[in-house]
Amino acid sequence: MWKTELTASTDHLTCPFCGLACDDLQLEHQDPNGPIDIRNGCETARNAFTQLMAAETRPPMIAGRPVALEETLERCVSRLREARAPLFGGLATDVNGMRAALSLADQCGALLDHVNSDALFRNQLVQQDSGWMTTTLTEARNRADLVVLIGSQWHERFPRLIERVLSPPEALFTETSERRFVLIGPNESQAVPAELRGCIQNVIQIENRQIGALAGLLRGLVAGRPVRADAIPDVNAETLLTLAEQLKSASYALFVWSAAELDFPHAELTVQALSELVRDLNQTTRAAALPLAGTLGDITVNQVCTWQSGYPLRTDFQQQGPRYDPMLNRHQDILARNECDLLLWIAAIPGGGDPPSTDCPTLVLGHPGLLLERPPEVFIPVGVPGIDHPGHWYRSDAACPLPLGQIRDLGLPSVAQILTQLGQRLAQTAQEETPC
Amino acid sequence: MLTKLAGGRLYDPANGIDGEVRDLYIHDGRILHHPPPGETPGQTFDLDGKLVMAGAIDMHTHIGGGKVNIARAMLPEDQRAHRRNRTASTRSGGGHAAPSTLAAGYRYAEMGYTCCFEPAILPINARQSHMEMADTPMVDTGGYAMLGNDDLLLQLMSEGASQETINDYVAWTLHATQCIGIKVVNPGGINAFKFNARTLDVDEQHPHYPLKPRDIIRTLSRAVAELGVPHPLHVHASNLGVPGNRTATLATMAAAEGFPIHLTHIQFHAYGTEGDRHFSSAAAEIAEAVNRLKNVTIDVGQVMFGQTVTISGDSMHQHANHHHAHPHKWTCMDIECEAGCGVIPFRYKDKNFVNALQWAIGLELFLMVEDPWRVFLTTDHPNGAPFTSYPHLIRLLMDRSFRNDQLARIHPDAAAMSLLGSLEREYSLYEIAIMTRAAPARILGLTDRGHLGSGARADLCVYRPSDDAERIFSSPMLVFKNGEVVVEEGRITRPLQGTTQVVRPEYDRAIERRIGDWFDRHHTVRLANFGISDAEMAEGIGSPVEVHPCRPRSVT
Repeated sequence: MWKTELTASTDHLTCPFCGLACDDLQLEHQDPNGPIDIRNGCETARNAFTQLMAAETRPPMIAGRPVALEETLERCVSRLREARAPLFGGLATDVNGMRAALSLADQCGALLDHVNSDALFRNQLVQQDSGWMTTTLTEARNRADLVVLIGSQWHERFPRLIERVLSPPEALFTETSERRFVLIGPNESQAVPAELRGCIQNVIQIENRQIGALAGLLRGLVAGRPVRADAIPDVNAETLLTLAEQLKSASYALFVWSAAELDFPHAELTVQALSELVRDLNQTTRAAALPLAGTLGDITVNQVCTWQSGYPLRTDFQQQGPRYDPMLNRHQDILARNECDLLLWIAAIPGGGDPPSTDCPTLVLGHPGLLLERPPEVFIPVGVPGIDHPGHWYRSDAACPLPLGQIRDLGLPSVAQILTQLGQRLAQTAQEETPC
Repeated sequence: MLTKLAGGRLYDPANGIDGEVRDLYIHDGRILHHPPPGETPGQTFDLDGKLVMAGAIDMHTHIGGGKVNIARAMLPEDQRAHRRNRTASTRSGGGHAAPSTLAAGYRYAEMGYTCCFEPAILPINARQSHMEMADTPMVDTGGYAMLGNDDLLLQLMSEGASQETINDYVAWTLHATQCIGIKVVNPGGINAFKFNARTLDVDEQHPHYPLKPRDIIRTLSRAVAELGVPHPLHVHASNLGVPGNRTATLATMAAAEGFPIHLTHIQFHAYGTEGDRHFSSAAAEIAEAVNRLKNVTIDVGQVMFGQTVTISGDSMHQHANHHHAHPHKWTCMDIECEAGCGVIPFRYKDKNFVNALQWAIGLELFLMVEDPWRVFLTTDHPNGAPFTSYPHLIRLLMDRSFRNDQLARIHPDAAAMSLLGSLEREYSLYEIAIMTRAAPARILGLTDRGHLGSGARADLCVYRPSDDAERIFSSPMLVFKNGEVVVEEGRITRPLQGTTQVVRPEYDRAIERRIGDWFDRHHTVRLANFGISDAEMAEGIGSPVEVHPCRPRSVT
């Protein structure tokens, strides 16, 4: 559904505050710009909606001084025209915001990277290097009979995963009461979510950095190779031998992780080890991975970047065409090495923190409540997709782009509108500069 | 403004015109045979015997959707080796086997194509397919929604739901996904793979539902016909790539029980088990069946040698073939109780017996199916080869001595097992115009495209004559889209955005209650967020819809 009129009451609002993209939020509000009542969402969603609706809307600013929007646009155009190596970072936006960012990047030779890219690339590099076998939320909800939950933060980062996928009232192909769970990670036993406590088969206490080794060991055990099941200190050999058997006899084993919490060097190798375990299991039975991501639109902008440029994020357009380098084009390193001369930071969805501190001129397109510690050269308030304007964004599983609605009208432009305008003005000035 | 195309040699099979020199006019984006009274041309192109055809239509090309984007993401090497730089009028992009949307649109137009159809739109992923196609400039687009592995259809059929109920569900799917046709991929097989079945033959029972693929083909082909959807059920048959699959292919044709059925990339389904290697061509047998069964149409899915990537909804057979991945990486996915996908990079080698025979089988099919109105020119882009190889393929069809030169280069055992060397047929320009223009427009129900009749949409191209057909079709002199020149001498001069072609069969809205209940109980997306509205297509996705009429049919 694409609605430009305001939604006063709905039971299918899509939430833009985490990668689960729950689209069953119920909303009631009498005055479109007044307080709202959100039901069905998690606490994180309710808080985020409430805060955003209550936040003071900040005006366009240059160096912290309120100015007319027009003035900020002109300043952006002149900065973009001067820049030799602009960096478009943050990129917390929707499909059309990213479409416009790519068009502008192509026009002025910019590099694109998302605020969450470190986490994104832990998965992306594996898909690129070896491929993987994955599944989606509905498939997992109806089919999984054994669920392996990796790490310890998946339920904080994706609060309704249990309700919507892991422990629904019913499932098509399994009895949800018989579904079993295995927890692998730095889990304190008391931290196990109450809803799952009765169905936990095993809790394997292990540091996240050790999970890759454990996955490798399980691959050996599943394949019947002569590996030592007691090779990992503090992990019980019997437990692993049992788990290997359970995985082989499961009809549809599901492996769930959030790469964002695998925050250590070369964590992509951990993801790869898990993915290879899933593929090995598929030689004789079925299994699938469910990597959790998508928060702040990382999956969304990566998808759009991939179809328009042919490459994932960390692509630059400095030499008339796209160049991709997932290592060299990491935005934090580009800034640290002084390899850019302008930062355009996009934060239309709250939750991504401040733009990185840099000596480069910084242009920020931010949600209207964004409070910055240090005023950037230019701040332009933009609408939040799903609240201030309709749009699209992707769920964690990358297969389901969902429509985002509009629930208020503060007259805020979208990221797409601002970037399209900048592109048009830039093209115009380029034309004027070309001698006849 | 009135534009005159003077003295072109017209190939317009829909109107029976075979190489006659005639003038054409373009007015308000439409073709005219005579200037409107009182109007004089503001612009005249003196074509002096150059070849004029309608814009080409690719009725089966994987250009947009989740699995195509997985292929792009997996293959940065494909992008790196084929970069397309920004120009004053076009944006940058690249790729060969899995081109970026921008590069695909530009290249299609540079070859004279004005309309392309994505043949495998997963309903839940329809937004993505349409967004990618909206970002594919220069061409109008459309897609076929995938059914036949979705648990809701299989559940309905298992419960013994009436044909009318199924028809309503099929029609609802077309509306919700903004598609122009229905596709079934390995009927029931993708679903069966989720239950760990590794094969599902046409008459084999599904591991969970009391159904056989034959039942799915019969039910869906009938639904599509009764709803009056112009395009027949588009079928990727069972047992793709499996030696001996000819029997499944023939059984699939029979399963339609006389209703129109289109068997796609039939080259991958025309294999026997003869010879020392237990792999042989069944092209003669398949072509004979196509010639005999007038309700059957096919596209070939021709293999060409070189690097490509195979992208398919058929997760069952993609998984089975993952050992052949080159480079060695592969992805499979189960998706939303609807279907799945598999992405496997592949290099076809002319010195490999199997690949060489696949190449020959495709050409045998082209040459042995008699009616060019019922065989379509495809490589199943990019599964047999990227679409950029079409001009080379056309030369293989039109030039026997060139074909035999190529035949002499392939694995000698494959050449020896093929009839290809003995086939004398050479396609004419008229027949090429049928299979790339007139016939695809007709089979999709696009009445104002694919021909040069008065009132037709002014999508057309002008080619320079040559003895080398590959040269003719690689680089048209002029391409018109909606009456405007968009390509000159094979280069984009005027970028534009296309529209989405859809059909809207009538149905009983009561089916939405049943679908809504299913969504509420089992899905993770709300039904209200599932369907795509016209306003969303135009304003959000960026490709407004054009609706084509439906005409209910019965058995032919």
